[in-house]
Amino acid sequence: MSTQTKSSEIVLDYVKTIGIVNNGYNGRGFANPYDIAVGGDGRIFVLNRCDPLRASAIRVGICNLEDEYLGEFGRGFGAGDEQFAWPVAMVLDSRYRLHITDEHNHRVTTYDTSGDASGNASAKYLSHWGKPGTGDGELNGPAGIAVDSSDNLFVVDQHNSRVQKFTSDGKFIANWGSFGGGDGQFNLPWGAAVDKDDNVYIADWRNNRIQKFTNDGEFLAAFGNSGEGEGQFQRPTSVAVDPEGFIYVADWGNERVQVLGPDGSFQMILRGEATVSKWAEAYFDSNPEEKAERDISNLKPELPAHLNTPYHISSQTEPYFWGPVSVSLDREGRLYVAETNRHRFQVYQKR
Amino acid sequence: MISNDTALMAHLLRRAGFGANRDELESYLEIGYDGAVEALLNPSDPGNMPDDLIRRYHVDQSELRDLPGSSAYWMYRMISTSCPMEEKIALFWHGLFATGYSKLNQARSQLNQVEMFRRSGLGSFEDLLVELSKDPAMIVWLDNNENHGASINENYGRELLELFSMGIGNYSEDDIKGCARAFTGWTLGNAEYMSVRAAKDSIWPYGRIAWHFDYREEDHDDGEKTFLGETGRFNGEDIIAIIVKQEATARFVATRLFQFFAADEITEAGEKTIEAMMATYFSSGYQIRDMLRTLFHSDYFKSEEARFARVKGPVEMVVGAIRMAGNYQDPYLGIEGVANTMFYMGQGLLRPPTVEGWHEGAEWIDSGALVERVNFVAKELSNVSSPGVRSIIERLEAGADQGVLQPSELADGCLDLLGPIQVSEETRSVLVEYASRHGDLDLNGHQPGDQAEQRVGDILRLVAATREYQLA
Repeated sequence: MSTQTKSSEIVLDYVKTIGIVNNGYNGRGFANPYDIAVGGDGRIFVLNRCDPLRASAIRVGICNLEDEYLGEFGRGFGAGDEQFAWPVAMVLDSRYRLHITDEHNHRVTTYDTSGDASGNASAKYLSHWGKPGTGDGELNGPAGIAVDSSDNLFVVDQHNSRVQKFTSDGKFIANWGSFGGGDGQFNLPWGAAVDKDDNVYIADWRNNRIQKFTNDGEFLAAFGNSGEGEGQFQRPTSVAVDPEGFIYVADWGNERVQVLGPDGSFQMILRGEATVSKWAEAYFDSNPEEKAERDISNLKPELPAHLNTPYHISSQTEPYFWGPVSVSLDREGRLYVAETNRHRFQVYQKR
Repeated sequence: MISNDTALMAHLLRRAGFGANRDELESYLEIGYDGAVEALLNPSDPGNMPDDLIRRYHVDQSELRDLPGSSAYWMYRMISTSCPMEEKIALFWHGLFATGYSKLNQARSQLNQVEMFRRSGLGSFEDLLVELSKDPAMIVWLDNNENHGASINENYGRELLELFSMGIGNYSEDDIKGCARAFTGWTLGNAEYMSVRAAKDSIWPYGRIAWHFDYREEDHDDGEKTFLGETGRFNGEDIIAIIVKQEATARFVATRLFQFFAADEITEAGEKTIEAMMATYFSSGYQIRDMLRTLFHSDYFKSEEARFARVKGPVEMVVGAIRMAGNYQDPYLGIEGVANTMFYMGQGLLRPPTVEGWHEGAEWIDSGALVERVNFVAKELSNVSSPGVRSIIERLEAGADQGVLQPSELADGCLDLLGPIQVSEETRSVLVEYASRHGDLDLNGHQPGDQAEQRVGDILRLVAATREYQLA
């Protein structure tokens, strides 16, 4: 389901859903996905934050658009090498290094994923960097991460209310921001993105807006405010910008995705329209009695008034986004929306 | 010297809340006892930890698929609310209208039920029973989704009368049948699919799908029924309207409220209070809030007889200790483990053992549960870095003569600031003797975590182990 203004300059077609809940500790499926990074070779990296019952299996899963599950890497919960506590976001740089933030361990972990698409062997742990603190280069709850055309990294340092710029090896370059609601200020910021001109966009989570900066941190614009209307946000978690400058926002608290024009004008809303994935089809092939009952059910029900909130609607309406935590783009104009509470992602294609 | 006002207010806050630290107690004392009763019975903005923060950091509490995170989600609310009565009444109804995760496999819908208890738990008992009968978690728990016009299932109809309103001996088997027939067609949306998923504990393909009420008119038995001497083409609401008129219902509700909010045992004076609550039940149009107002203003409730006349339930124990220590006010990695301690003590949120709920009173305490209780509270209260414990230390210092406390002053001060708690002379002498081992306590120039502060923590730890601390 989508809505868009008559003057929308963008059209997104739903393509497919990939995923199934993974209740175990490895293998096909996802466990509370928190972010997606798509490589130029078609590999889709999915960060599994995992709930506490399955924290020993915190990992990155790899699949592709053909629904093939290629493997996974990561060594579960902890503070050792390749371990994570509360991983949040990740980004691929030009050399196929995958940088993953961890808001509890206050660090960034880097893998080399430059191998071929053969699965586990394609991810080699390189290092982790960062330490807790408030000084230059120190981190307090690193959340979103983005990369510019020079492979500089922008890390959203949420509890320090700032953005920090590093080299891809983690050497501090600069930072900006402070706590507040004014221009260039942040309140528990989360997601980050960089556009083709190397401008930086930040999902200013608790200020319910997207802020745009130059590569050096000069404030350029702010888009959106608090609400459920068009162009308004409730706790935006993630932002992505395509080559034409369209801005995609995971409007997480409203359980939807919004697309803005390059000038911040509202373009469209996506509410989600998930279908049965290939992996889900395999489940139903083995459980035909469940499938039979499902087939006669209404998965988009009318709900009583006390459940008429985006969260409750999504909790009962399986096709809709529930916990749409990240928006990611590939080079072919596809949009990937990761849903934490539904253990899947939905794919849209820009016309 | 503990004033009677202070002791009475602390008593009220142990019953209508989870106890109170001294700052809270003083803010209630400012508005007086009557004002406090009204503030507690008329919850406004609870100011609890907001959902967006919880969901951001705890993916399990965003999805609410499994039990540990779901019980932690409710515990967060209990420990951070400024309207404790709202949670206390929800806990009361959760125990009385017990629905358990073991059969439902649907924590989100159980928490929706808890929210319903918050919303309606202090209002009309008639409205509450209607909402309960439409609650999808209850419908599945007692099989009303299997209660069809052509083939009734009596489970919900029976428990509605026996466990939820009148009590056994006040109705016939025919009344149960009439009751069950009236609730035919009261089911949940996509009942067949949801039933299969619940029975299999299926989370596939995309996690759980929460539940909502659905009325299927075509499955409702619209025929004539006789119920408690009245005859008509009753639907569920009509049955509830008859139930709430019964004296047995008034007695049932008043007694259960009394035992949860006043005393485990019912004395002669307690019985008179129950009768007063029954009178309020009818005069107010079945309003729970008014019944509790009658209770809290009764001579019995304010008397010494009612003080410490209940064994704290595990939830009260854990939440009370955490609130006193001031911990877990922000999302905390590992919070589900904290919530699990209540289960180890015998009261897991969202998992009452049976439809009868928990057996309360002295049955809360066996040797294993006692060890869990004491260990948990001792750990919370002896941690001198906890904000609530630091506040106790600061208050002890402020009240000391030139910063120095004699052993008896240290023991009495801790008992006062943790309640005030009334203890036997024997208990007090043990505390004083322990405090005397290192002589007077000099708090001048104390530093976080130093030996002087730890001596306070040690006394607080010892108080947690007393018999009296187990009582509310």
